[in-house]
Amino acid sequence: MARHRKIQGEEIARNLNRRQLIELEACARCGECTNWCPVYAQDKRECISARGKLAMLRSMLDGSLTAEERTEFLQGLYQCSACGQCHIVCPVRINTPELWEQARYALVSAGIPQPEGQVKQLTTIKGFNNSYGKPQEERGLWAKNAWDAGFLKSLVPLWSERPSSVLYFAGCTASFDPAMQFVAVQTARLLQEAGVEFSILGSDEPCCIGKLRRMGDPAFTEEAQNRARQFDNSGVRTIIVSCAGCYKGLHSDYHSLWPGAQKVLHVTQLYEQLLHDGLLRVQQEVPLVVTYHDPCHLGRHNRIYDPPRNVLQAVPALKLVEMARHRAFSACCGMGGGLKAANPELQHKVSASRIREAEATGAQAVVTPCQTCYLGLLHGVEETSSSLKVYHLNEMLIRSVCPEVSREAIDAAFSGDQVKLK
Amino acid sequence: MIEYFKPWLLFWLAAIVAHGYMDYSFYRKWQGWAQGIRQPFPHKGKQRRIVKIWLAEVLLQRQLFGLSLFRWLVHLLIFWGFAGLALLSLTTFFLRPLDFLGIGWAHYFFSGKGYLFTKVWGDSFGLALLLGLVLAGIRRFILKPAQQGNKQMDIYLVAFLFWLTLSGFFLEGLRLSLSPGGMDSYSFIGRLFMPAGIFTVEQLKFMLVATWSIHAFSALALLVYLPHSKMMHSILAPVVIALNASEESEREDLYWPDIGKYKAKKSRET
Repeated sequence: MARHRKIQGEEIARNLNRRQLIELEACARCGECTNWCPVYAQDKRECISARGKLAMLRSMLDGSLTAEERTEFLQGLYQCSACGQCHIVCPVRINTPELWEQARYALVSAGIPQPEGQVKQLTTIKGFNNSYGKPQEERGLWAKNAWDAGFLKSLVPLWSERPSSVLYFAGCTASFDPAMQFVAVQTARLLQEAGVEFSILGSDEPCCIGKLRRMGDPAFTEEAQNRARQFDNSGVRTIIVSCAGCYKGLHSDYHSLWPGAQKVLHVTQLYEQLLHDGLLRVQQEVPLVVTYHDPCHLGRHNRIYDPPRNVLQAVPALKLVEMARHRAFSACCGMGGGLKAANPELQHKVSASRIREAEATGAQAVVTPCQTCYLGLLHGVEETSSSLKVYHLNEMLIRSVCPEVSREAIDAAFSGDQVKLK
Repeated sequence: MIEYFKPWLLFWLAAIVAHGYMDYSFYRKWQGWAQGIRQPFPHKGKQRRIVKIWLAEVLLQRQLFGLSLFRWLVHLLIFWGFAGLALLSLTTFFLRPLDFLGIGWAHYFFSGKGYLFTKVWGDSFGLALLLGLVLAGIRRFILKPAQQGNKQMDIYLVAFLFWLTLSGFFLEGLRLSLSPGGMDSYSFIGRLFMPAGIFTVEQLKFMLVATWSIHAFSALALLVYLPHSKMMHSILAPVVIALNASEESEREDLYWPDIGKYKAKKSRET
């Protein structure tokens, strides 16, 4: 048994990189990670902390981890949102989010699967090319429905029919989740208001498969290369995404596989530019005090801190106040890294903590430019019975640019109670 | 400078064994790391930045300064104290054979006026290490911050280093008690450890040999323990810091974040 554990440990080690193997022994055990980890704040077991996971993974590699410790380690590894806060505060600069994702990959490659919830989600993504298990034909329906309901100035063309200089990649959540389709509709309308010519892939739009990387699925590299080829063959030059997860996927995860990853922009970066150039005109006042929640995939992972803040500050009468933890120190909502799929209750607690922090600012609402964080924060509001509103950043901008395309109007129209604006 | 018996033969034999064991342990570790996927070290065009980060984070430990002034002070004292004493030991290791051969400048440091310089050096870095360890002990056993892990390996290392430092000062105190006058003003800490004048010269000599042996063999024990202790971070952290700087040297939010500006509060505080 001990020999089997050692062989398995060696197999795992072969799928980590050398830096990561060194990092396992470089930990100074100072425990700074435990001070900042949003998950450890809710579950104070050592296996949850970066310090604990590093020590346990090290023992796993040399075959000395007991069966009980192994169970604990796997819980700790998968009940981690890979938010990267521990990387920011680690005095040794251990690149923890990369390590956790690679460790998951290495474990799966060695025959140790992810938790059931994550396996289910990954099977759905690989089977349906989206995380909702819906037919791909439905993916682009939001655009047609939005046009029919009068929310768009023109029908958004399909790339196959009319390629443009810009591809709007709506992502699974904004395409399939009825409660989140307003994000895609509002993004499309704001781009049209600014005169940006763009197309969508419709039913040809694939899942970005960032989740495969988050949860260590070995199929990630091949699937990502397939998608990169699809973009290249379509002649796509610039991709705009409205989801922080898709941004992390297409921009960061594809980085080493596809030169085109450089041309992926998050929509807040484009909004900032359009506002600066005077192409997107904010007119109506939005008299709200809001606080901004940095999505980990945008902030810590990609250093997009200022564009969303600049967009919010451009909205007349809107006041932005910061939470105690923001920018590089922003506390995660718990939706990343497959944590939600592995342990939903824990995600709710993590999010509740973030909502309490947002409440402490005295703001009326918390704003985020990520639909996954948006959904995650709503769980926190529910958990805390808070009266705090949660808004997607699009909603603040749309209220000032074209208030008739409100989330409420879109929700009503898409639920069958059509609001004809034209 | 006084001459006294030192069990050199036994010491060198033990040193070869201890060093050999440490080297073998490192070799095994290297074998383990070499199993991993090779990665590039993307340093071209950013060498100056990497060096700047490395100096700030390894030698000045700026990242700790940003997190906690107290921890920074404790760790800096231990780091520089240990580094200074390790350098002194290494210098002794390499120069001692030259001294035996009567080579001038080696002789200057061990028997001439330069010996006083080594005394000031040893006492200064020894004091830094001792202070750091005392403060670390206060933090670990009295203040007990919640973030602190108290596994055996955490406690053993502090206790071991404390033992080494203290035995070093006792050794210096005994040396001074048998040395001609005037020497003690250079060993400004060692002289505080001079035994009261109740011992005979013979007794002091015996104590000196015993203390030297305890200190010297304890130092060798540290070599054996090092690859299995959390002190590995003192070797590997500078490596990881350099590797990370090669990948993320442009990250202002990581390398020079202004926590005060962000008013960041730890999860534990919220």
